[in-house]
Amino acid sequence: MSEKMKILYVDDEPDNLVGFKASLRLDYHILTAVNIPQAMSCLSNHPDIKVVFCDQRMPGTTGVEFFEEIRISYPLPVRILLTAYADVESIIDAINRGNIFRYVKKPWTEADIVSAIDEASKFYMANSMLSIKNDELQKAYNELNKFAYSVSHDIRGPLAGLLGAIDIARDVDTVEEMREMLYLMEKSLKKLDTYIISMHDYYSMQRGELKITDINFNEIMNELKAIYDVLSITNHVAFKINVKQDDTFRTDAVPLTLILNNLLSNAFKYQDKKRRNKSVEVTIEAEKTLATICIKDTGIGILGNHIGKIFNLFYRANSQEVGSGFGLYNVKSALSKINGKIEVNSVMDQGTTFKVTLPSI
Amino acid sequence: MELSFIVIDDSELDCFIARKIIRHTNEHLSINTFQDAQLALETIQAGIAHAAGSKTIVLLDLQMPLMNGFQFVEEFEKLPPETQKKYMVVILSSTRNTNDIHRILTYPAVNDILEKPLTREKLSSLMAKAQSR
Repeated sequence: MSEKMKILYVDDEPDNLVGFKASLRLDYHILTAVNIPQAMSCLSNHPDIKVVFCDQRMPGTTGVEFFEEIRISYPLPVRILLTAYADVESIIDAINRGNIFRYVKKPWTEADIVSAIDEASKFYMANSMLSIKNDELQKAYNELNKFAYSVSHDIRGPLAGLLGAIDIARDVDTVEEMREMLYLMEKSLKKLDTYIISMHDYYSMQRGELKITDINFNEIMNELKAIYDVLSITNHVAFKINVKQDDTFRTDAVPLTLILNNLLSNAFKYQDKKRRNKSVEVTIEAEKTLATICIKDTGIGILGNHIGKIFNLFYRANSQEVGSGFGLYNVKSALSKINGKIEVNSVMDQGTTFKVTLPSI
Repeated sequence: MELSFIVIDDSELDCFIARKIIRHTNEHLSINTFQDAQLALETIQAGIAHAAGSKTIVLLDLQMPLMNGFQFVEEFEKLPPETQKKYMVVILSSTRNTNDIHRILTYPAVNDILEKPLTREKLSSLMAKAQSR
């Protein structure tokens, strides 16, 4: 935190403002206002003000009244009252109603103000941390609910299917029928396995520190090519890779690989089986500060009204049972981890292109 | 009364199991399976999946992509009453979610709910119930 903390001082006597600024400007970014309207516009122009000092005795509005007002409209800055008078009643009242954090007696000394600012800044930090944590908790709760909901479908579903299959296996007479059933059972188990792997990906994208390393896109793509060549050959999907990297590029390889892996897996999975010239094309252009990755397929495409939702947890835009509803959600989490962006372009029965842009970290 | 079946489930294995169990119970029953609820609905609308003078039991999964069981029932209830009368909608799901179970049972078109996997015992009592209606 190299930037100075912003502090607003409101007082109707310009001399006081000058004195305040003179003694504190080296350590803080001091903003001043001689009246309430000026103070208001200052608060609206500087939403990052952390502490507001205000004189109690001012023409028109008192300091206590001013604080009562901004408590609603600008709840974040910590409010400290300056008072030369023994306005004990109104101060006690204001503190009790939560309108002011504390007060400093006039004439103040620099030490008084600095200690008040220190306390206020700790209070401010604690409050903002708390609200960040609250938002995170709320999000985690919502996702936990979605998980609990998905357990009966995505974990119990395949298991119930297997149990049912075992039950009827006792009456199956022919080897062909048995083979068909084993094939379906295997498919069901693989789906369950994918679900569990994705759940692990989900967890590692939410937690865990970033590990920034030099990225060699050619190397990463060669590894992925080895994996997807099998699918490319068995499903007759041409797999083209173009990588152009002249400079060093740095990011975390784990989220990057997860993004590429999920997008590639989808590109192969959602091919149009009836189509003749099927292909998946990856184009990577890595420059010094930015990498652009395009993954283009000739697949079934995504309907326009689903595109906005495909990154939602457990959302599936296709009736084939291959999807778990995890993949693109994990892609989005991984992207936010390494500050990347994604765009989708899709035409039904023509194909889909995902364009990812990543900064070098 | 003659019975026939429509099975709506996105899982291929579950469709397979339902088909086998129904076959084992009575090999002459007509069975149509759909992995896409929308297609099943269109087939019912067109009156294709129904043999004249018979009753069709619809085994319906709840959680499916695109059109789920709830959406299917909502659309089904918009069909003409004489069409609806020919069908008996029964939920077949692995869900333990009480909200979902209560919610789906509030639809008048939904007759019953069965827990997966489908077994011969569950099917037999279901068929007895359908015959007696």
